[in-house]
Order: sequence, then structure tokens, then C-alpha cells
Amino acid sequence: MGYRPCGVYHQYYSQDHAWWQTKFVWGKMTLLFITIFYLIPQFAGMYLISVANVVGYTILAAMGVQLLIGYCGQITLGHAAFLAVGAYTCTLLMLQLHIPFLIAMIIGGLVGGLWCVLFGLPSARVKGFYLIMTTMAAQFITVEFFITQYISQIGGRGVAFSIPPGTIKIGPWVIKTDRDVYYLMVILVVLCTLAMANLLRSKVGRAWIAIRDNDIAAETMGVNIVLYKLLAFFVAGFFGGIAGAFWITSLAAVSPEHFHFGWSLWLVGVILIGGVGSIYGTIFGSLFMTLIPEGLKFLIFFLTQSPFFVNLMPFLPHLLEKFLYVKEAAFGLAIAFFLIYEPNGLSYRWWQIKNYFNLWPFSY
Amino acid sequence: MVLTDEIQLKVENIHMAFGGVQALMGVSFEVKKGEIFSIIGPNGAGKTVMLNCINGLYHPQKGRIFFEGKEITKLKPYQRAQLGISRTFQKIELFKGATVLDNIRLGRHIHLKSGLLSGAIYFGKTAREEVEHRDFIEREIIDLLEIEHIRDKIVGMLPYGLQKRVELARALALNPKIILLDEPLAGLNLEEVEDMARFILDINEEERWQTTCVLVEHDMGVVMDISHRVMALNFGEKIAEGTPPEVQNNPHVIKAYLGEAEEIYVTRR
Repeated sequence: MGYRPCGVYHQYYSQDHAWWQTKFVWGKMTLLFITIFYLIPQFAGMYLISVANVVGYTILAAMGVQLLIGYCGQITLGHAAFLAVGAYTCTLLMLQLHIPFLIAMIIGGLVGGLWCVLFGLPSARVKGFYLIMTTMAAQFITVEFFITQYISQIGGRGVAFSIPPGTIKIGPWVIKTDRDVYYLMVILVVLCTLAMANLLRSKVGRAWIAIRDNDIAAETMGVNIVLYKLLAFFVAGFFGGIAGAFWITSLAAVSPEHFHFGWSLWLVGVILIGGVGSIYGTIFGSLFMTLIPEGLKFLIFFLTQSPFFVNLMPFLPHLLEKFLYVKEAAFGLAIAFFLIYEPNGLSYRWWQIKNYFNLWPFSY
Repeated sequence: MVLTDEIQLKVENIHMAFGGVQALMGVSFEVKKGEIFSIIGPNGAGKTVMLNCINGLYHPQKGRIFFEGKEITKLKPYQRAQLGISRTFQKIELFKGATVLDNIRLGRHIHLKSGLLSGAIYFGKTAREEVEHRDFIEREIIDLLEIEHIRDKIVGMLPYGLQKRVELARALALNPKIILLDEPLAGLNLEEVEDMARFILDINEEERWQTTCVLVEHDMGVVMDISHRVMALNFGEKIAEGTPPEVQNNPHVIKAYLGEAEEIYVTRR
């Protein structure tokens, strides 16, 4: 909000409250929307679209984590559980009760939200690192116990619920190819980002930020801390449930190993890399955490296949055999360097770059 | 403002102990509507504990607190805020990552109505409400406290004196009936002290606000100049209460402060 180019004067508060305050920003955002709604699905190859779907799924899933950790200050290490709740609720409603996908998805989100509130209840009493234990409990109780042991047995389908092709449709629109999934993903990401950003500039979001920054002061200013913490858990679980329900569109079968503990940790990693307490951070983090491993994969293929490099370094083909380990190690290294040299995340760097170009070519 | 005899806040026989330390022992007093009531006393006398009890952060083991005739002893801090009790803190307790404007907006929390769904949609109801309250904040608070130039700044980056002022702004945004000021002048330079004292008088006297102030302060010059009545605490016990001259000349107070009968005016002037 702080920066405005010279010559732009607002006459109404509504102009000052708007997201896109200048024509330049409007143009920029229009270009972005044209790119994500038209250019990418029309001209990108199947591989790029499937990568984009993973990015979108990560954004949706990390949004709730960002809300809890970044905006409300409640640590969550079991968010995959709420994704799983959303995914399983949605799948079961569709397969058992033949409820349309859209409604099943929203119910999945609501159930995910309520389930999240259940594990958020201890936050009324405990703060900070102790909350890690209760949210980790969510992961193990939900996924490893309830879903694996009981929910998966419903309908006698075995461990994985396979979704017959053509089951998932919104009205006449059958979601079966990656391109359909892409469109659904883009719509959901835009809607969730809008909802999140709007919440953060109204009463509820400000109460969350207040609780994060100073809960005692927030309480003396009339914020019912327990209620708003639980609301944060509900909304985070809702986003998680929606993300999980969305992801079944690109899974042939829903099974517990899609929602393992590593994925919960991964989501926390996404917001740490992207920037805690920033919506940009969620998006940048998701891009980074998805694109860098893909890039590493290409790099290794290139190195092992090009004769020049193989002659230069004959040990390279072994990398391919050990690819998994090398990729993980390189990725871990990247994260470590990131935390050392960019502790505020990518969104902070983005902010700095924007500030630099706002003033360019002057230094202040 | 015109002093009334209507009792707004009544504190009865408060006992508060932390383990073996008796912080307050049977303190009772009454604050009349529209006055500036100061609590003074040496360090550790229990002044801040008293404010925390009124505010609900501490729950006294014994004693009762009435606000506008209603008992509030059992209420939680946010419920007391909804009744119109606001406060500032001795050590600044602002939301450091947010802008000045957002800090003040949070003070409007109890007056805002938008919920989860209307907040997520924003357009329409919530947008109108936000503009309305922005208008209130700009006209009544930012203008009064002269913080126009910093409204978009991040609070954590502001100098101490301005942070104190922002905290007062946030407390005022609640539109309180009574405001508890915990050492609003601590750590300020002379100019800032004069500004702050003027602000306190403004919110007490101006037609628009007419807010009752409970002031905890060490700066005797300011306390004696602006307050209507003063209460002195020492080691958790009330030792004097009355108009500033009465308290100033009270031998118990002089003894508590200086140990000897000497001049009480120890100020920076």
C-alpha cells in the first residue's frame, strides 16, 4: 500500500483500499490472467501442464499452512491429514452416495475444516512448539490410523479407492485430461487466493495477525483469542480439504500414501522458502519447490547423456542410477543455502526487487 | 470536562498474590466518570498489577470490580474490552509486523461486523464497512494524535515515542468509556511528554471523547498537573487518596517516595 507512483492521487478511501491502484498494475494483472487462463493451457505441452498442476496443488495445500503459521502464528505439522480428510470425504460422497463433484468438494472442505478445528482445540491452552505435537498427532491419528485402518475399508475396495474415468464432472464438463485439471486448478487457486487476501484485509484476518504478533494485546483490544484461533484452524482445514478434494481429479486412485507425513513437512518447507506471512510466499515457494527438482532432473539427464560431459567426467552415468539420492541431496543443499542466504524467503526478495524498480534509476 | 459524581469504576478490596509475594492487599477505590485518576507509587508498589486486574489480565484472589454498576470480576479481557475498557501498556505491545493503520484498525475490532464469509467475499458489505471505519480513524484518531505522516509505516520500524503514540491511537480506536494508561510518558523526551500530556487532556476534555482516564505514571510533574484525583500505593497497600495537593503533602507519601520529608517534585524539569 505504501508505494504509489507520483501523479497518482486518491480521492476516496475505497481507492486506497483497492488492490490494483494504478493502470500499470491493472495491465500487469490482465497479462498474468491471460497467461494462466489462455496461453499456458493452449500452447504448453502436456508435461508442462502436469507440472503446473502439481504447482497449483502445492499452492492450494500450502495456503492453509501459510494461514496458520504465517498469519496466525499457530504451528502445524500435520496438514496432509486435512488434505486426506477432504480427499476421502469427497471420494466417498461421490462413489457411495453419487453426490456431484462440486458439492462433494465443498463438503470435503467443510469436513476438513471441522477436523482441523478438533486438532486446533489444544491451541487454546498451549502455544508455540508444544502445538507441533498436537498437530503431528493429527497426521498420525487421521492418516495412519483412521483412514488406513477404517475409512479405506468402506465399500470393500481394498486400500486404494479407484475413481472410474468420467465420474468427476461439474455439470456437463467431464474432468479427465490434464488440461481439464489445469483449468479447475487455476480457478480454485485464483478463488482461494482472493478469499485469503480478502480475509486478511478485513476483521478476521487482522485479528489473526494480531494474535500472531501479540496475543495479550489482541485480547485487551477485544479479540476473542480462542474463537479466532479456531476460526483460523477451520479456514486452514477448509483450504486443505478443498486442495485434497481437487487432487483426486488427477489421481487414478486415492490411497493413504498420497498424504504421508513427508508431505506435511514439505508444505511447511514451501512456506519457509517462499516467505512466512505472505501470500506471494505461498506461490513462490510452491513454484520453487516443484520446479527446482524438475530442473535438477533435466540437468542430470543432460549431464549423463551428453558425450562431452561424460568424457570429461566418466563417473557421471552413475548419477543416473543414484538419481534419487543425488536429487534429494542437491535439493536439501539448495534449501540449506536458502535458509542461510535468504532467511526471509523469496517474497522478501520480490519485495526488494519491486522497490528497486519503483525508484529506478535513482537509489532513493 | 465537567466532573460528575457518577461512579464509573469501583474496585473493592482487591487482594492479589503471586506465590508468596503480596502484590495488592485490600486496595479499594472509585473512579468517577470523566476524571483523570492517577495511581502513583514507588517501583513494585503494585500499580501495573492493579491495572491488569481492572483489565482482566490478572484475576485477583479476593475482591470485586464493578464497571458502570456491573460486576466484571469474572469477565475475560476481551469481554471487558467490549464493555469499553481500553488500555495501553508500559512496555509497548503493538503488532510489530503490521502498519500503523492496521494497528489502529485492529482497535476497531469490536465495532466491525463482517464475518468469515463476507470478509472472504469483501465486495459490498465489508468494503463499505472498511471505508466507514477508515473515515472514523482518519478523522478522529489520526488527526487528533498527529500521526498522518506515518500511517503506512510498519510499526516495528518507528521510533519509541511514535510507537507510544500509536499505542494510544489503537486504544482510542476502541472508542472506550474508560482508558487505562500504563506509564504513557516513560522513556519520552520533554517535547514528547508535553505532547502526550496534551493528548491525554484532549481525550479527557474534548466534547467528542470525554473519556475517563486511569493513569499510572512516575512523572510527578505531569501527574500533579493534569489529574483530578491521585491515589498512592506502597507495597500493595493504599497509603493516600485525594486531590493532587492533598496527596503531595501527605506525610506517608513523602515517606514512601523519599524516605525523608523532602520535596516530592522530582521531575526532569
